[in-house]
Amino acid sequence: MSRYIVKRLIEGSITLWLITLAVFFILRLGGGNPVEYMLPPEASSADIEKLTQAYGFDKPLIHQYWIFNQKLLRGDLGDALSWDKRPTVRVVWDRVPATLQLTSAAMMFAVILGVTMGAIAAARPDSLFDRVGRVVAITGQSMPVFWVGLLLILLFSVYLGWLPSAGGIDRLGLKGIIMPALSLGFFLMASHMRIVRSTMLDVLESDYIKLVRAKGLPTRMVIWKHAFKNASIPVFTLFFVNFAALISGAVVTETIFAWPGIGRLLVDSLILRDYPTTQTVIFFAASFIVFINIVVDIMYAWLDPRIRME
Amino acid sequence: MLRFKGSNGELLLPRPAATLAGLSSLVQKLREVFRGAPKLSLVFLAMAILCAAFAPLIAPFSPVATNPTNILQPPSVFSNHMLGTDNQGRDILSRLIYGAQTSVKIGVVAVLLAATVGTLIALVSGVFRGWVDRLLMRITDMFLALPYLMVALTAVALLGPSIPNVILVIGLLRWMGFARVLRSEVLKLVEMDFVRLALAAGSSRSRIMLKHVFPNIINTLLVLATLEVGLAVIVEASLSFLGLGVPRPTPSWGSMLRDSQQYIYIAWWFPLIPGIAITLLVMSANLTGDWLRDRFDPTRRQL
Repeated sequence: MSRYIVKRLIEGSITLWLITLAVFFILRLGGGNPVEYMLPPEASSADIEKLTQAYGFDKPLIHQYWIFNQKLLRGDLGDALSWDKRPTVRVVWDRVPATLQLTSAAMMFAVILGVTMGAIAAARPDSLFDRVGRVVAITGQSMPVFWVGLLLILLFSVYLGWLPSAGGIDRLGLKGIIMPALSLGFFLMASHMRIVRSTMLDVLESDYIKLVRAKGLPTRMVIWKHAFKNASIPVFTLFFVNFAALISGAVVTETIFAWPGIGRLLVDSLILRDYPTTQTVIFFAASFIVFINIVVDIMYAWLDPRIRME
Repeated sequence: MLRFKGSNGELLLPRPAATLAGLSSLVQKLREVFRGAPKLSLVFLAMAILCAAFAPLIAPFSPVATNPTNILQPPSVFSNHMLGTDNQGRDILSRLIYGAQTSVKIGVVAVLLAATVGTLIALVSGVFRGWVDRLLMRITDMFLALPYLMVALTAVALLGPSIPNVILVIGLLRWMGFARVLRSEVLKLVEMDFVRLALAAGSSRSRIMLKHVFPNIINTLLVLATLEVGLAVIVEASLSFLGLGVPRPTPSWGSMLRDSQQYIYIAWWFPLIPGIAITLLVMSANLTGDWLRDRFDPTRRQL
């Protein structure tokens, strides 16, 4: 087990290092001197010169990457051009809690509702509930996150007038998180429904379930006590894949609902052409995804010994 | 003059029975091919492709001509603008039809690019193995860990919003699924006897990749590609929705939704219609992909 953990940690750090390489090169994608598209077009050449030197863009690429890594080890990813020119790490860090609130609320909604509905559907295949559920799941997997958001605004803000169309848990309390979490979690709920339904159907076919059934256990006990646990494993497996999707979804959700998280910070930094901040947001999000990946893998190996052997 | 007799004297009559039989066997074959197919999805995909190909012929109005006297008209069967008009008085139906062009083009070409990159990586990784495989898989892991929408937004912002750049960015950020799934297929295939025999017979590795392994992963490749089209369409719509995808005034369903956001309180149809189009297209691609997967390999149902 400890060998497996060490192996995953080493793999994870290699991935993280490759990510620094990717993040470093993202800024150089536009070609030329990145300072030119950070500053407004009317900036004087003296200003361009000054900033180029400040960021070290005049040095050779390899040298720049070396400096980038040195600073990174000290936790320094440069200063923001906007946001009072504070260090980007601080600017991003301030926005992390809002994104965590939103993603965990969405995840909770998706897992609880998706898993329960998938299990109920599997308990009575081809019933009305199952058929409606399948349509909901397939549609849910095909709707873009931002359109779900717009539909929710149309229904709850425009038509019914129940909920505010801009979020932010500080100003509005729990009422403000309902629509953002619903729209971000809808896709995940649909995929959980589908995956739990199909695994549950497989599990219900297995020998050990036939045995408990033969012992005369009531169906409800068979499903919720015996089959449910095993049918939930794929939800766990998919956590990592889902998490990366969730971060991407957060970008659009936060933009629609004016939610002050890192997704909105990224869009704002692109509009303001504050690329150091952009870089830091991507680095934070990517490291977080790598971290979640390692944790999930280790927990999974702990649960299922077969994985460790590979 | 018509000749009624052939060279050996038999009558040259038309043979209706034979052609009918031919036709019915053709129908049967078609029926066999489309067994269990999601018909509505295929019809909708065909419609989207037709709209994309012949948009100028089908669309009743110009998708970009504005008309300030006719803004935000609600949909009505009796008016000229069946699906209403947008905030600049443009016909929504026409923009929808031209928008199909954008979505189909980007969806198909981006997935082709992603599939090519992913397949190449899977083949090289699975056939060469060893450190090449390990290196390529670490790179794949790295791309999987990137928050792809964030990276896509940044890349398009830096490269400049345009259809080719959107295709490039989506293609280069979505190949990992192909690489991972196909690699595991390749690993299974290279263990099989026919590949070992080919190796023993002196085939080069590139020959084995192309002649022996590749033909056996085409089915999986096709399924993955169909399923990935939906995602590419959604990513394009998301980029355009955030204002960093297809530049205006080129019609795109995502940028239509972007425009509609400000008018959501007064024009319910404006945010509704393009969203329905995106959802239907994505759903059709997904259902077709599911169907293809079940056709090729029924044991992997619902995977």
